[in-house]
Amino acid sequence: MKYLKDWKVQILCLLMVIAAELIGNQKFAFGLVSFTLFPMLYALVIGAVLYGLKVIDMDMMKTASPYIGISVTFLTVKVGASIGPNLPAIMNAGPALLLQELGNLGTIFFSLPVAVLVFKMGRAAVGACFSISREGSLAIVGDMYGLDSDEGQGVMGAYITGTLLGTVFNSLMVSSLLITNWFHPYSLAMAAGTGSASMMSAALAPLVEKFANQPEMLSKIQAYAATSQVLTSADGLYMSLFVGIPVTNWLYKKLKKEKAAPAQKAVAGK
Amino acid sequence: MEGKWFTRIKILLITALFASIGNLINGLVTKSRSATPEKVMVYMPWQIWPALALMIAIIILGLIIADFAKAKFPKADLPNILFISAIAILVGIPNLSPLATFMKTEFAKIGLLPLCTPILSYAGISIGKDLPAFKKQGVAIVTVALLTFLGTYIGSALIAEIVLKFTGQI
Repeated sequence: MKYLKDWKVQILCLLMVIAAELIGNQKFAFGLVSFTLFPMLYALVIGAVLYGLKVIDMDMMKTASPYIGISVTFLTVKVGASIGPNLPAIMNAGPALLLQELGNLGTIFFSLPVAVLVFKMGRAAVGACFSISREGSLAIVGDMYGLDSDEGQGVMGAYITGTLLGTVFNSLMVSSLLITNWFHPYSLAMAAGTGSASMMSAALAPLVEKFANQPEMLSKIQAYAATSQVLTSADGLYMSLFVGIPVTNWLYKKLKKEKAAPAQKAVAGK
Repeated sequence: MEGKWFTRIKILLITALFASIGNLINGLVTKSRSATPEKVMVYMPWQIWPALALMIAIIILGLIIADFAKAKFPKADLPNILFISAIAILVGIPNLSPLATFMKTEFAKIGLLPLCTPILSYAGISIGKDLPAFKKQGVAIVTVALLTFLGTYIGSALIAEIVLKFTGQI
């Protein structure tokens, strides 16, 4: 019986892969707003629909669950393999480019308090807040907590959000920041490399448009963005593993405790 | 009861097989829709098996070291990804690793996204038991994810601005 369950899961997985890849990348554009859907997202949706149709039962879910953690290691190798060839770029980058990489972690102190204090999120907040939740983050959470854990739900939800809204959001954000004049265009260019190629292009687009007639400035802007992108794709994995996740966990514990403390006092007061 | 290693190797081989089939379909679909189809490379499943074999070798070596390290330091809570990625990086360093060139050319034949599809299919099969919780947190996760993009960007821009000013570049 156990083997039967296993084969059902494997054959279903193969059928889902084939169906998802046959649909292929789908680009949607509504005026200024555009996004691309990827096969991996259809695989999730097909799974949810088949569950709704009761094709997938609890036994199959329990069989498939540990397979996620094993198969996700392929992602680790693929992401890790791009780091080695990029090491020289890190050696040659200037101080501004190197230090701004730390800025990628600043988000933890910005989004985690909102997640925990405003939305009262649980451990899913850790998964959603330690990074911008691209493929490398899926690999990290999949390995450390499992993609079907609370943390996994957070990172997957944020991954889907990023796929659907990331490019639009980045373009709007950089356009707005350009109007405010708070930052030099070089700083905005350096910040554009956050580890996602599509989000970088989206963040870069408003800058390219604004400085189209200043070729010297434009080439610097593009070089800064590209280098920052290479740096993030190289250090992002380790930054998340050694700094992002531990700091997020630490802050999560602090926030939960601070929130719990007054309530406990009230109980003790009675 | 299947042993730990039996399950690991079984799933690694099956995932690789599914990814190689998905990669072919992905290539064919992309080619058929491309404005410049002659530029889209399509690889047969067996053409990417050298890459997949090297990936599996790196994963297995990484897992062996990870198991050993976990047995030696049970309190350290060391994730597998630490060891697997470290080996992947070492193998990919040009002028240091004899496999660096092989890795770069072979790994390019399999896309990151087709590699994700079988993983997310397993996740899709087991998503049912998490759907209620997922639904409940939907709006919160979307808002928090967007705040994360904003925070990441502003954080980097702020540091870049300060350092560029400090070093007199702007």
